[in-house]
Amino acid sequence: MKTQTLLGTVRVAWRNLWRNGRRSLVTIAAMTLALLAMVIYASLMRGLLGDMERKLLEVEVGDVQIHAPGYLDEPTLYDDLGESERLVGDLADLGFPATARFLGGGLAAAGDASAGVQIVGLDPEADRVASGLAGELAEGEWLSASEPSGVVIGSRLARTFGVEVGSELVILGQSVDGGIANDLYVVAGVLGSFSEAVDRSGVFVVEEAFRSFFGYEGGAHRIIVRRAPGGSTEDALAAALGLAPDEDVQSWRQLQPTAASMLDAAVAGLQVMMTIVYVAIAILILNAMLMAVFERIKELGLLKALGMSPRHVLSLILLEAGLQTGIAIVAGLTLAAPALWYLSEHGLQMAGLSGLTLMGMSFDSRWYSQVDAFSIGAPVSMLVIIVSLAVLYPGLKAARLRPIDAMRHQ
Amino acid sequence: MSQPIVQLDGVTKVYRQGSIDVHALRGVDLEIAKGEFTAICGPSGSGKTTTLNLIGALDSPTSGTVRLENEDLGALSRKELSEIRRDRIGFVFQAYNLVPVLTAYENAEMVLWVQGAPPEDRQRKVMELLEDVGLSGLEDRKPSELSGGQQQRVAIARAIASDPAVVLADEPTANVDSETADTLLDLMERLNKNRGVTFVFSTHDPKVMDRARRIVRMVDGSISDDTVKDAVT
Ligand SMILES: Nc1ncnc2c1ncn2[C@@H]1O[C@H](COP(=O)(O)OP(=O)(O)OP(=O)(O)O)[C@@H](O)[C@H]1O
Ligand SMILES: [Mg+2]
Repeated sequence: MKTQTLLGTVRVAWRNLWRNGRRSLVTIAAMTLALLAMVIYASLMRGLLGDMERKLLEVEVGDVQIHAPGYLDEPTLYDDLGESERLVGDLADLGFPATARFLGGGLAAAGDASAGVQIVGLDPEADRVASGLAGELAEGEWLSASEPSGVVIGSRLARTFGVEVGSELVILGQSVDGGIANDLYVVAGVLGSFSEAVDRSGVFVVEEAFRSFFGYEGGAHRIIVRRAPGGSTEDALAAALGLAPDEDVQSWRQLQPTAASMLDAAVAGLQVMMTIVYVAIAILILNAMLMAVFERIKELGLLKALGMSPRHVLSLILLEAGLQTGIAIVAGLTLAAPALWYLSEHGLQMAGLSGLTLMGMSFDSRWYSQVDAFSIGAPVSMLVIIVSLAVLYPGLKAARLRPIDAMRHQ
Repeated sequence: MSQPIVQLDGVTKVYRQGSIDVHALRGVDLEIAKGEFTAICGPSGSGKTTTLNLIGALDSPTSGTVRLENEDLGALSRKELSEIRRDRIGFVFQAYNLVPVLTAYENAEMVLWVQGAPPEDRQRKVMELLEDVGLSGLEDRKPSELSGGQQQRVAIARAIASDPAVVLADEPTANVDSETADTLLDLMERLNKNRGVTFVFSTHDPKVMDRARRIVRMVDGSISDDTVKDAVT
């Protein structure tokens, strides 16, 4: 179709919209509201899922973990990875950020309070490459190799002990040779809340402090592997399996099955929700456009009698739906913009969620939306697809009218 | 004599209505030559509209052939028939002739627009035609703001804008008073004389059929009489 003809068709389609202006406005308003709701909902879900996934993968679990066989069933100081340093180096050479963690149990005490803790030794600088832990500090400073007596502890632990940055903490344990290990540490930093386990019992120290506390000389107990930038968990898993065929290599989905299925369920929930809302929209469009076609069946018959091609008639009907959708998209996104801006800047105050942990993952007290190609693109493209499908039937109906039948229509 | 524009040979049309066959046309032979001003008359149900629809490629015969400028319409696809209607036939219907959301100008321009004619040509032609049919100054009115006679003038302007081989008008004056009918016929007659437009129209109004130069009478699906008034030009 020539541009001139197309422009003319747009003009006719536009005027047709306002023949039954109220119906068009109702249709546009419904699409606008649906789009507005879906964009905000998708952005909030993206924010929530992104936050959960980030905490889970970036901060806590990583994409893949390597342990000595049997360690996860019964963790002990003696089941170590041996040549962990070389493994970390090999993974890094393949482009997978990795960090080694030394794990041991102990008892921490401050004042009258005491609690069982998990002592995690790490290299404070190397760890940053593969873990976002250092970025999760709520107060104080990250560990430093030059301050081996500094510790970073979980948020709940800090609250239980009533300690803050600069407070002293005594840790007791059993050293490798069976003797009693104990040392005095200073709280360098307190982590924000992100997982039940770390919140309640995480005590992070530098590798050197771990070794001297336990008298330990072996390899690390856990290696955390991240995906290569832009890559996937599966790639990291395959690489780790290749490099450590004799060790226990597991992805985060295997390590945290409940969290993984919860994330999957949330995504599925978003899709179901969007489908329901949009099917309702599809029915509305189908109805409105069918009415628009049947109302003017004589006129469409006239157009066909005068020699307008079926394709041209179809394009007229598609344009009428397309214009309404276009208006709804502009209106919906315009209305969504301030809401999205507010939600991504200030978030929703979720006092009730503060510190709440669900299946081992804890929530922030503020729920931020995340605006990205998915949260805008998915609702918009779904709307366009749904409308195109819904208008196809009335459009083809109009295109296939036999002019004399249509003009005889009462 | 020159080659006829329209040729119907042994045309029958049977409509199926439930289990009953309605014989709308029972063997019609008809030729229309260039420049004719012909009325098809006859009582209601005699087959006038059916005949015009067949000539206009809006319907196909049950048997027999319909030729337009020597082309057998029965051999053409729906798409080709649609193009025939667009390019070679002008239609004036009794009612529902105009698109309500378009102005008089835009309605008159309709066929040229569908053809994809260049805008400058359209503009020149349509303005000239609207003036010729006596609608200057009313170009921007919507059909609802025009009288019945004015609406039919727009339809006539639209029908002749694409220089069709024949203009088919099914009871073009049935919905207007007799005075307006007269002026519409004046207009059609003038366009026939000055521009050589071939007109075939149907009517059952004796006053209207008197204005035709050739009168084809139909009764019960057959042509009963075919009279050409004074064969002088
Ligand atoms: N689509 C159709 N289905 C069934 N019968 C039809 C159809 N169209 C026309 N007919 C019948 O065919 C016959 C001829 O109809 P047609 O419309 O050609 O008559 P007409 O001369 O134009 O009549 P009128 O003066 O009332 O317009 C009539 O008996 C009519 O009922
Ligand atoms: Mg009729």
